Amino acid sequence: MSSASVGGRHRDLRRFLLQRLGSGLVLCIGITLVAFVLTHLVPGDPAAANLGQRAIGDPAAVAAFRHQYGLDRPLPVQYLVYLKSLLHGNLGISEQSHRPVRTDLAEYIPATIELALFAIVLSLVVGVGFGIVAAVFRDRWPDHLIRVVSLGGVSMPVFWTALVAFYLLFFKLGWLPGGGRLDPAQNAPTHLTGMFTVDAAVHGQWTLFWSALRHLVLPALVLAIYTVGMLTRFTRASMLEIMGNDYVRAARLKGLPERVVILRHVLRPALVSIITVAGVAFGSLLSGTVLVENIFSWPGVGQYAYRSAVNLDLPAIMGVSLFVALVYIVVNLVVDLLYGVIDPRIRLS
Amino acid sequence: MRPHRSQLHRWLASGCVVAVTAGLAACSSSGGTTIGKTSLPPKPNLVVETSFVLKTLDPARMFEPTGLMIDHLLYDTLLTYKGSDVTTPVPDLATSYTASADAKTYTFTLRQGVKFANGDPVTAADVVFSLMRTKNINGNPSFLMAGITATSPGPGTVVLTSATPDTAIPAILTNPALGIVDAKKVQAAGGSDAANAATADKAESALNTTSEGSGPYTLTSYSTTTQVVLAVNPRYWGPLLHYTKIVIRNVGASVQKLDVLKGESQIAVDLSPTQAQGMTGVQIVNGASPNLFFLLTNDNPKISKITSNPQFQTAVRDGIDYAGLVQLAGKGAVQPAGIIPSMFLGSLPAGSGATFDPTKAKAALAASGAGHPTLKLVYPSDIQVNGISFGDLAARVQQDLQAIGITVQLQGQSIQVALNSYRGGQEEMGLWYWGPDFPDPSDYLNFLPGALVGLRAGWVKGADPALEKMGATAAGTTQNAARGVIYQQIQRSMNSSSPFMPLVQPAQILVGAQSLKNLQSNALWLVDLSELG
Repeated sequence: MSSASVGGRHRDLRRFLLQRLGSGLVLCIGITLVAFVLTHLVPGDPAAANLGQRAIGDPAAVAAFRHQYGLDRPLPVQYLVYLKSLLHGNLGISEQSHRPVRTDLAEYIPATIELALFAIVLSLVVGVGFGIVAAVFRDRWPDHLIRVVSLGGVSMPVFWTALVAFYLLFFKLGWLPGGGRLDPAQNAPTHLTGMFTVDAAVHGQWTLFWSALRHLVLPALVLAIYTVGMLTRFTRASMLEIMGNDYVRAARLKGLPERVVILRHVLRPALVSIITVAGVAFGSLLSGTVLVENIFSWPGVGQYAYRSAVNLDLPAIMGVSLFVALVYIVVNLVVDLLYGVIDPRIRLS
Repeated sequence: MRPHRSQLHRWLASGCVVAVTAGLAACSSSGGTTIGKTSLPPKPNLVVETSFVLKTLDPARMFEPTGLMIDHLLYDTLLTYKGSDVTTPVPDLATSYTASADAKTYTFTLRQGVKFANGDPVTAADVVFSLMRTKNINGNPSFLMAGITATSPGPGTVVLTSATPDTAIPAILTNPALGIVDAKKVQAAGGSDAANAATADKAESALNTTSEGSGPYTLTSYSTTTQVVLAVNPRYWGPLLHYTKIVIRNVGASVQKLDVLKGESQIAVDLSPTQAQGMTGVQIVNGASPNLFFLLTNDNPKISKITSNPQFQTAVRDGIDYAGLVQLAGKGAVQPAGIIPSMFLGSLPAGSGATFDPTKAKAALAASGAGHPTLKLVYPSDIQVNGISFGDLAARVQQDLQAIGITVQLQGQSIQVALNSYRGGQEEMGLWYWGPDFPDPSDYLNFLPGALVGLRAGWVKGADPALEKMGATAAGTTQNAARGVIYQQIQRSMNSSSPFMPLVQPAQILVGAQSLKNLQSNALWLVDLSELG
C-alpha cells in the first residue's frame, strides 16, 4: 500500500471525524434549545416545585429563589446566559441538590457507565453466543429453547424482572447483595474514575472491589436480560441470512473447519448489524436505566434525571439531556468507525 | 449445507461448560458470604433506610423530611422534644426560658460548657448568628423566623422579640432548621446572617461537607441520592449514645421492607400500612401521622356558586364516610376530629368530629338549591403521603358524594400543575394535605379566612368575623390551658361551617429490628436516632 493512499485515508478519516464533530455540536445546541423550550412549556413553576408551602407564600423567598437561579430574567436571556455558561463548561446550579450540575453529573455518570458497561459486555457475550448457537442449530431444540428465552427477555418488563430478581437472588437465596454500590459500612474506594470496581482494583482495595462487583451483578443482570434477548434475535437472524450465501457454501466445500466458516465467514459480516443493535442498546442503557437504578438504589444518571424532572430542575434537565445526546453521538460515531474495521468496503465508501 | 456437527458440538459444548462453571462458581462464592451475615456493619453501627427527600443539610436552607431527621442529629436547638411527645418543648441548648405576658419577648438561658464538635464553645453569639442567618437567607425555613429578631443582651442569654404576639416560638425553636451552628466556622466558609444573606451567604456547600454543630453526631459523608453517613460527636454533652456510626440510605419502600426483614438495615421509615401488614420478626411502631388529608370546597362564588354555598358545604361534610376513609388508610390511621391533628395541643377529642349522615347530607343538598350538581375535584395524582394515594382517597370521596347526589369529576394532575391551581385558589373542590410546619396549633390558623390556606379555598378575610376574632385571640394567648380551649372552639366552629373537611390522618409507621430499644416516631423528624438503645 502506498504512503499516498494511507495519507489519503487519514485525510478522509479526519474529514469524517470533523464532520461528525460539527454535526454533534449542532445537535447538542439543538438539544439544549428543545429541552429549554419543552421544560418551560410544562405548566409548572420551578419555584413552586422547590419551595415549601410556606416559603412559596413569601414574596421575598420566591424572589430570592428566582434571582438565585436566574429565573427572573426574560426567557431568551436565560437561554443565552445558559449557552454562554456552557461555553465555559458551566452547566448551572441544580435546584434540587444546590450543587453545580457538573459536579452532580461527575458523581452519577460513572455509576451509570459502570453499570451499563457491565450489562452490555454480559449481553454481548451471552446474546451473541446464544444467537450463534440458535443459528447453527436452526429449527432444532437448542434453537427453540433459545428463541423462547430471548422472547421472554425482550417481553418481560424491566421493573418486574428487577423486583423478581431482587426478591429471589437477594431476599430468598441471599446469593447477591441488595441495593447500593457497596455494603453500608464501607466507604467508597479512592477516587479515580468514579467506577468503584475500577478504582478499587487500581488501588488494590480488593475487599471493596469484591463488594462493588457483587453489588454490580444483580442490576446488570436485570438490564442484560432485555439486551441479551434483543442481541440473540438479531445475531440469529443476521447469521441465518448470511449462511444462505454461496460463498459460505463454497467455504464449506473447500473443506474449511466449521468453526472457521461460522466465525470468519458468517459471524464477521453479521457483526455489522449486531454492532448497530449493540450500540443502540448501550446508548439506551446509559440513558434509560431509571427503573433499575431506583429499585437497586443505584445512584446513577437515571435517578438524577427522574428527580430533575419531578422537581422541574431546569439546569439538571438540560445537563442530563446534553449527556444523553453526547452518549448517542459518541456511540454512533464508535459504531460507524467499527463498521469500517469490520468491513473495508464501508470504510472505502 | 448443515454444519459439521462433531466439530461444532465440541466447541459449543466447551463454551457451555465454561459458562456454566463460571456461573456456578459465581453463585457458590457469593452464596458463601451471605450478605445478611457478613456485610452488616458490626454493632454499634446503625443502618436506616428511607426514600430521600433531601436537598441540603445546611440548616438555614433545609426543610425536607430527610433533612429534618439528619439535621436533628447534627445540630442542637434551643428547645427540643423527647420521644414522640410533641406537645411540650423541653430544654436542649437552652436550660430555661421566660415569656413576656404579651407573648412578644422570650428570654433564653443557655447551657454552660457546651462545645461544638470542633471544640469551639457554643455562645450566645452563635445562637443569634444561626437564627438570623436562617431568617435572612430567605430560604424554605425562613418563615419560621418571620417577624422575629434574635439578640443577645449578655453572655449566656438570648432574647427573641416578635413584632406580634407569637405563642408558637417555643415550638418553632425545636425545628432543626433553627439548629445552632458555629458562627466563626460558618462565616469563614462564606456564611452570613446579614440582611442580604440571601445573596451574600455562600456557606451551603461547606455545611454539606462538614457539619458545624454541637449535636450528637457529625457528618462523615453526604449524598442526596445515595447515603448520608454520620459519626458520633465525641464532644457531645448529652446522654451516652448507643451507635457510633449511622448510615442513612436512600432506598425505595418496597426494598426497605425486604432489607429490614433480611437484617440488611435496622430501620425502615417509609412503609405503608399495607406493606407493614403481616411482617414478623421485627417491631412495628404504628401511630397516626401529623399529616392531614382534607377536602376543600371553594368559598369564592366567582369560582363556583355551588361550592361556596354553605348548605352545599354541609352536604359534603355530612356525606363523607369517614370510617371508610380510615379503613382505606390502614391500621394506625385515624379520623381527625378537627383541622388540628390528634397529637397536638388544642386537638378535639376523638369521635367529636364530623359524622357520616347521608340523610342529613341529602337534606342539606336539597336546601342548597344546587339540585344534583357536577363538580371537578383536583388532586395531585403522582405523589403519596404516608403510603396513601390521593387518587384512592379521591375515588372514595367521589363514591360517597355520588350516593347523596353530587357527581364529582376526578381531575388528577401532576403535583406541579395541581399546586398552581391550589395555591391560586382556583379549584372548585380540592383534595390536599397539610403537614405541620411546627408542632403547635397556631400553625393551623393558616386555615382561617384570609390566611394562607383559607385563601386557597377562596375563604377571604371577613367571611367569618366571629371565627377570625377567635383566631386573633388564640394567637395572643400564652397559657396552654386557655390555648387548648380556644383552639377547640375554633375547630368546632369550622366543623359546623367552613369550606374545609378534615378527612384522615394516615398512619406513620416505623419498622425496626427487634434488637432496637426505644424506637419511637416523631411528628417533626420522623425518628430520633440518637435516642435509640
